[in-house]
Amino acid sequence: MAIHTPIDTVRTPVPGGPPPGAGAARRLRRRNTLAGWSFILPNFVGFAALTLVPVVAALALAFMEWNSYSTPEWVGLDNFRRMVGSETFWTALYNTTYYALGHIPLTLVAALGFAVLLNRALRGVRFFRTALFFPYITALVAVAVVWNMLFNPDAGPVNQLLRAIGVDNPPGWTTSTTWAMPAVIITSVWRDMGYYMVLYLAGLQTIPAELYEAARTDGASAWQRFRHITVPSLRPTTFFVLIMLTISSFKVFDLIQVMTEGGPGRSTLVLSQLIFREGITQGRFGYSSAIAMVLFVVVLVITVVQFQLQRRGER
Amino acid sequence: MSLAVLRRAVLQVLLTVLGLAVLVPFAWMLVSSVKLDSQVLTVPIQWIPQEFHFDNYVRIWDRIPLGTYLYNSMFLSVTITFLQVLTGSFAAYGFAKISFPGRDLLFLAYIATIAVPWQAYMVPQYIIMERLGLVNTHLSLILLQAFGAFGVFLMRQYYLTIPDELTEAARIDGLNEYGIWARIVLPLSKPALASLALLTFVNTWNDYMGPFIYLTSNDLWTVQIGLRTFIGLYEAEYAMIMTGSVLSILPILVVFLFGQRYFVQGIATSGLK
Amino acid sequence: MNRHTGRMNRHIGRAVATATAVVLVTAGCGGGDEPAVGDDGREILTIALWNYDSTPEFAALIDGFEAAHPDIDVQPVDILADDYAEKVTTMLAGGDQTDVLTMKNVTDYSRYALRGQLASVADEAADLDQSKYLSLEPFNLDGDYFALPYRQDFWVLYYNKAMLADTGADLTSLTWAEYADLAKQLTSGSGQDTVYGTYHHTWRSIIHSTAAAQSGGDLIGGEYGFLKDRYEMVLDLQDAGATLPWATASTQKVQYHTMFSTEQAAMLPMGTWYAARLIEEKKAGSIDVDWGIAPLPQVTEGGPVTTFGSPTAFAVNNKARNSEAARTFVAWAAGPEGAAAIASIGVYPAYSDETITETYFGVDGMTNDEVAQAAFQPDEVMLEMPVSEKSSDVDVILTEEHELIMIGERAVDDGIAEMGKRVTSEVD
Repeated sequence: MAIHTPIDTVRTPVPGGPPPGAGAARRLRRRNTLAGWSFILPNFVGFAALTLVPVVAALALAFMEWNSYSTPEWVGLDNFRRMVGSETFWTALYNTTYYALGHIPLTLVAALGFAVLLNRALRGVRFFRTALFFPYITALVAVAVVWNMLFNPDAGPVNQLLRAIGVDNPPGWTTSTTWAMPAVIITSVWRDMGYYMVLYLAGLQTIPAELYEAARTDGASAWQRFRHITVPSLRPTTFFVLIMLTISSFKVFDLIQVMTEGGPGRSTLVLSQLIFREGITQGRFGYSSAIAMVLFVVVLVITVVQFQLQRRGER
Repeated sequence: MSLAVLRRAVLQVLLTVLGLAVLVPFAWMLVSSVKLDSQVLTVPIQWIPQEFHFDNYVRIWDRIPLGTYLYNSMFLSVTITFLQVLTGSFAAYGFAKISFPGRDLLFLAYIATIAVPWQAYMVPQYIIMERLGLVNTHLSLILLQAFGAFGVFLMRQYYLTIPDELTEAARIDGLNEYGIWARIVLPLSKPALASLALLTFVNTWNDYMGPFIYLTSNDLWTVQIGLRTFIGLYEAEYAMIMTGSVLSILPILVVFLFGQRYFVQGIATSGLK
Repeated sequence: MNRHTGRMNRHIGRAVATATAVVLVTAGCGGGDEPAVGDDGREILTIALWNYDSTPEFAALIDGFEAAHPDIDVQPVDILADDYAEKVTTMLAGGDQTDVLTMKNVTDYSRYALRGQLASVADEAADLDQSKYLSLEPFNLDGDYFALPYRQDFWVLYYNKAMLADTGADLTSLTWAEYADLAKQLTSGSGQDTVYGTYHHTWRSIIHSTAAAQSGGDLIGGEYGFLKDRYEMVLDLQDAGATLPWATASTQKVQYHTMFSTEQAAMLPMGTWYAARLIEEKKAGSIDVDWGIAPLPQVTEGGPVTTFGSPTAFAVNNKARNSEAARTFVAWAAGPEGAAAIASIGVYPAYSDETITETYFGVDGMTNDEVAQAAFQPDEVMLEMPVSEKSSDVDVILTEEHELIMIGERAVDDGIAEMGKRVTSEVD
């Protein structure tokens, strides 16, 4: 019994009509196109006018110089040349990638783990689920202050714990350029895991309980059930979570802005901050668009690769 | 005691500890909300306030028109959530269950726009909204956020898990596509709808930059803007900010506790019989 | 690439540019409209400002102006202080017609003026008595003025009178060396009960602008050796435990108000805007520190008192709907009447003469002993940052390098060298 559908299926025509021939296929395709578009249109119109157009304009600005007030001026690849020669840009690109490589796998594993753990009738399971969702809805200022306190190199509990287990020179966390990014990653995993747990919980509901029953009577262990039933069944959800995690990791802004403001120095400066700074603060909208273009291309490439991997996994 | 029971007990304890640990920053928020401003950001942190100022929860309603702000936030969050869920699930059906040329490319375009950070296109977007005369209205935010790609993406993935046999059977029974969406697919996707609604609600409720840029008149402001009025040019009134933040979390808590019902297992599997 | 494709690319380029311009550049030149008129027949004048309810100077100015001009209805456009510049930039990009724009500092002023978003107020500037202003000249851009200051803040030394009383120090003319010794002397206690001799807030201006003002250094010049002495003093105080470490203050978002008003710090170099808050809270009974103001410490004994500061100004939007009334307002606020209106609530105006000084010191709760009077008569007030199109970029670089020095990851000399290197190579 198939649990999910491959992305492109040829629809079988409604029986009672003429046997499939060239004309019928064309009519079917047109009926499908009309039907498909009729579903998409309400959302698409708003999306195209208010999101797609500005995004395209913003990307086009990458080849121009604009201070938001006078007419944009075409400058070809000048912005990109400037970007390539800018140490700050490469630092931000490195930081953003570093952040993504840490944040994505850790959050995914935590979210999936907690979702599986909390998808059963435990006592107080509602409390636990709510508790895990709390970090996401807590005010960012509170998150920043408390985690900075936890990470305080001298008085903070984290380092006190490390010293107690024998680490002599515990890291400086947000007061050190080397350890600021790991501190931010830890905080962000803590913050986001509840959010993606909610998505996994929804996905877990699609798995029929009978499958687990059957496996249990066959003598499969919890881990085997997880590996052979849960994980494959969750593939569309994992695909979604992975894509959203990737995109949001590369776009990260708020948490870092409030927690370290990109510092100390430039050690946690990420691309979104650079885009915001160069554009809104310094008035170089063309240059900031060029950076946005790089971010966009990187994320798009990763997304397309993930798309292809998912397709191949379904065959 | 059997191994299973022991394991269960350990799990329970572990989860309790974890659950409480995760709430530490929220505990700090609660404690700070009943302090004086000058007591909030002390070094080291005072977990037990020297003096309790519960009157903060009364004062804040006078300091800022919190009632108006809460109403505005609620109005925007509910409207945007409703529209996002409606148009998103509607469009997702087209992307998931109907095959037509250009579909996947169009879907990729949707996802591609999520990939561009808002900071990059906020000014061009503002200019368009200004041309349409929508600046300083709630309608601007509703239009901007109700037609996002996120809802479409989430629902599409969920619809992919609904077996084609169901929709085929419905077609054979004579239902048109809209009927299939409304009567078969939609009821089956309650968990996804619930999570989309929850996440959209939370994101809209906590959104600061959008309302900040588009809402100029004080009586249109939302709670998030209202809270930031306590951040002055040189200093900030952190106690008031925390008081407001605690109050602001309550509606989300209610929505979450209420919505948990829909995460319960067993609802989705009935359709196959 | 042959000539044909080259020409093609240029055509495509021009087409895309035009299309984008059509989308982006706002239609109409603005400013040609008639001023809006309210239901009561009064002309409407809009002013972009911040945190209207908790910034009494705006209400004072608006009320005073409306009293002097009963035919004009002033409507504030309230924008949150924290992100004020971002919103104003976005609004102006959209062709906004708000008449008067408050310029938070000279960096903002440079930016908007150099982009051509502000209307010239050179005529109004010519009517002002230059000698009565501490900083009117900085607003002069090639002979033209695009904003007029209404408020002047500069840096002084706040101190806890009770703690300083027994030291016998002459606060009217402290040198930095004396200040450092005092700070170490006044530090006491440990752990949670530590009382620090002084508190240095995390802003780089405490070191950079002070050093630039008092030694004549150029903050956008690319050569920063003049910062060395101040850095060494501040780091020495940090190491000696006489002030809260910068790293802690920064990561824990410590508020200078908290440190000073709860008497955890005996001294506090800070701007004159802080006085209004101290007065208000003391009156309301939420704090009871016995506070005083002294001149900012100097490098040498007996010389002129030089400090740094920042004027706040009003500008007229180039696309203002009611540009005539806007000019009237800007001139009024910068002049003696506007100055009187804000002096009476404890805000130090840009225009000052004897009457104004009397009004200011007459405010109930204002400290007005001999030391304070000396503090309010600095010999020279330099700008926190020069007016230039480079200022914004240099500010970012200096802040980043400043952080590295203060957390101890860069030695002072290395940090200063890096500042110079980055400013010269990255800022054009």
